[in-house]
Formats: sequence, C-alpha cells, structure tokens
Amino acid sequence: MVVLSEREAEEESVFHKKLKIKLKEKGKQGRITLLKDYLDYLLRSDKTLPPDFPTFAREIMGLDERGGFVHIKIWHEKSELVEFTKVMGYEYKIDHYD
Amino acid sequence: MTDFFVGEALIGEEPEVAHIDLIVGKKNSSVGIAFANSIAQPRTGHTPILGVIRPNLPAKPSTLIVPKVTIRNLEDAEKIFGPAQSAVAKAVADAVEEGIIPKERAEEFVVIVSVFIHPRGKDYQRIYRYNYAATKLALRRAMENFPSIDKVLEEKDKAIHGMIGFRINNLKKPPYLEVALDIPDWRRVEGIIRALPRSDAIIIEAGTPLIKRYGVEVVQKIHQLRPESVVIADLKTLDTGNLEARIAGDATADVIGFSGLAPIKTMEKFIEECKKIGDLSLMDTLNVPNPVEILKKLKIKPDIIELHRAIDVENEEYAWGNIQEIRELCGNVLIAVAGGIRVNNVEAALKAGADILVVGRAITAAKDVTGAARAFLQKMGVEEVDQFRVMTDF
Repeated sequence: MVVLSEREAEEESVFHKKLKIKLKEKGKQGRITLLKDYLDYLLRSDKTLPPDFPTFAREIMGLDERGGFVHIKIWHEKSELVEFTKVMGYEYKIDHYD
Repeated sequence: MTDFFVGEALIGEEPEVAHIDLIVGKKNSSVGIAFANSIAQPRTGHTPILGVIRPNLPAKPSTLIVPKVTIRNLEDAEKIFGPAQSAVAKAVADAVEEGIIPKERAEEFVVIVSVFIHPRGKDYQRIYRYNYAATKLALRRAMENFPSIDKVLEEKDKAIHGMIGFRINNLKKPPYLEVALDIPDWRRVEGIIRALPRSDAIIIEAGTPLIKRYGVEVVQKIHQLRPESVVIADLKTLDTGNLEARIAGDATADVIGFSGLAPIKTMEKFIEECKKIGDLSLMDTLNVPNPVEILKKLKIKPDIIELHRAIDVENEEYAWGNIQEIRELCGNVLIAVAGGIRVNNVEAALKAGADILVVGRAITAAKDVTGAARAFLQKMGVEEVDQFRVMTDF
C-alpha cells in the first residue's frame, strides 16, 4: 500500500522520507526474514549489493517496531528499498520524515 | 574491385532478434576459398548449410549459412534448417531482383552469412521475418560499403549498443557538469542519483569520502543505477598508482583520479595503467602550488586536470590558474574546475576555458536536486537529453 499525495507523486524530491515496512513476523525473526528477503531480491534480480548493506542490517535489527512497522529513512520514492518492498509483497507506506 | 564486401544488420525484438554478419565476393576470391573450406569442414554445432528458398531450390548467388550459436539439439537445428535458412535464401534472391546484387554477378559471387538465433527464440514467423530483413539490409550495406569511415568516426561516441544499453562516453563533447557525491551516506546518494536529470552532459563523481566509507565498489552500484553515465572514482591516489587505478577500473570506473602531490613515478604509473584499461586519468591539483611545473615533469600526461579555485583577494573574482598554459603543454586535455562553482559563475568558468564544472553541495544539498542540476545545465547551454536520441538515419 502506497500513500503519496499528488504533489509528492509528481515531484522527484530527494527530501528524506520515511519508508514504513510491515514486518511479516514480529520481533527479531521478522527483521531477519526482512533482511533475508532483501538479499534474496537483490541476488535474484542480479543487483549489486548496496554498499551500505552491513550498516543497513545493523540498522534494521536495532529499529523500533511501531505497530508492526519498521521506519526506514529513504531519499527517493523510487529507491531500491521501495522496489524491494513492492516486489517481495511487503505492506508499506511512504511518509515525509519528521 | 574490392576482394569482398562486408555487411551487418540487427533486426527485431528478443528473443527472436536476428543478427546477421555476412561477406559477399567472387568465387575465385578469398570468400570463395572460405566458402569451399567451410562447407567441406563442418564443425560440431556449427554445421554450415546452403541457403535454400525451399528444398531443391538454392539461392543465387550461392549462399552458405553458418550458425553463430552452437546447435545443441533438434529443436535448435529446426530453426536454422527451417525459417532461418529459407529467410536468408529468399533475401539473397530478392536482393538480386532488386538490384542490390547485380544480376550478372549471380553466378560469379558467393555469400557467407553468419546467423544468430537465440535458443529461446520460438516464434517461426518472427525468426523468418527478422532474418529475411536483416539479411537483405546487411547485403545492401555490404554492397554500398556502409558505413563510411566518416560515418563511423561521427557516430562512435554517440552510439549505444542495443544489447548492453549504454556506451563508453569518452568525454569528447564538453562542457560537462560533474556532480561530486561527497556525502558518505549511500541511501542519500542513491536518492540524489535518481533525482539527477538524464543527460550525457552529467558526470557522476564518487567522492573520496564516499569511497572511503564504502569502498570503490560503490562505483559499480552507481553504474547500476545510471549505466549510461560516466563515473569518476576520486581516489586522490598518492602511492601504488597502477594498483589503485586497476582496482577502480575493475569496479567499472570510467575516470580515475590521483593527487598531483603524488611522486612523479606514481602519477606516471597511474596514467599508464588507466590507458591500459581504457579509462581516463584525472589529476587533482588540490594543494599543488604550481600544477604546470608538475605537468612539465610528467612524461605521460593525464587526460583531465582538475584545478581548484583560488580567490583573488583584490577583486574577489574566482580564478582557476592559467588554463591556456596547461593546454599548450598537455595538448588534447580536459580542464575541470572545482570549488565555489555556482550558477552565477558558470559563464565565467567556461569563458576561462573550463571543460568540466565540478559541483558538489550546490546540487547535492539543494532542496530540489533535479532543478538545481537543470539550472547548471541550462546555464552551460547543454541539451538535456541527448542520450535517448532516436537513430533514424539507418
């Protein structure tokens, strides 16, 4: 699920935003599954691993879970992470970063 | 008369796309010898066959079809023996009827056609039509000696190979806007890259802090996002010139930067390595008191020299050193200027002789990255979208 205003959809803004991804399972296992799925997506689509993957893994494991969602900072609505959530069937929202 | 003619054409869509390479020449020329040798010495998976319009009706001039892709099974063989064989033969015969090949040469000439059929190609209609069209086009091109050398020289830096989707840009048409990505935060960098306009005039620089944080492999990831863009690895190398240049080249960098403060031997090894691997070398003159003196000592010159801004205290104008003197010394060199480049001094920098304007935070930290980059391109008088030019002339 994507929540974007019309203005947002038209703009190619790089202002940081919040990508909210709903974990498929709660707790640590849900985060590990997310990381496994991300790696799976990258490898299956022949994408080079993002250079920040180690940092990203650490970040995911340490993020707060808010109503089943983890909030990740992104800078573009067409980022690889957004594509990943779409392709791998994760429920997600994009909000402006506070 | 030329011993033989060479033609090539690519027609259609994947997976049935047809790619034809062919040679046409007299039976008593090298083509005739190749024709006879080839038919007498079949190789496993690449058995040459005569082009026949239908069984018992071979084309004239006599045509030999050589499969490019190894035939592994009966299914592969049927595509060659069926639609491809017939299409090539019909194209040759029609080329005679249409005057592409002079009718009086039909007995004198032979044709050798190398045919590509993708193992995943299934549709016989497409295989036939694409191979027919590609063979006829390749024949026409061969007989017209297409392309002329002038055409090749004109197109070589503009063309994109359809199968790889990008080209090597040798930076032959300045000015360029080099966007320096010095922010050591990959997700933010990704956002900036996605927001940059698609333009041949934009060069992406993987800045030193970005490379220091993530390693030079970051260049490959940038290329994955923007395959068509020139990417600079700003290594600022001070030692082990050839080794560092090779590492960045292996990570797909197009241009690799070293420091003008490095030992002369290091710089020369760096430049030589760049030439060896087909990359451009960039000398960064940051903190170099007299770049001209260093350049005089170098037996082999870099392809790009990056000059950093010096501020003239008296008139508060920007100056980038004696660009003219550097050009006279180095010949065909590109001059990049860095430091304090803003939209309002673009014209001054270009007037001073700059080929590449290096811009960092004026774009990367802008509220609207797309708009900021466009403002620079506009001021530089650069067409925004050149790389999606449609080839209509052939």
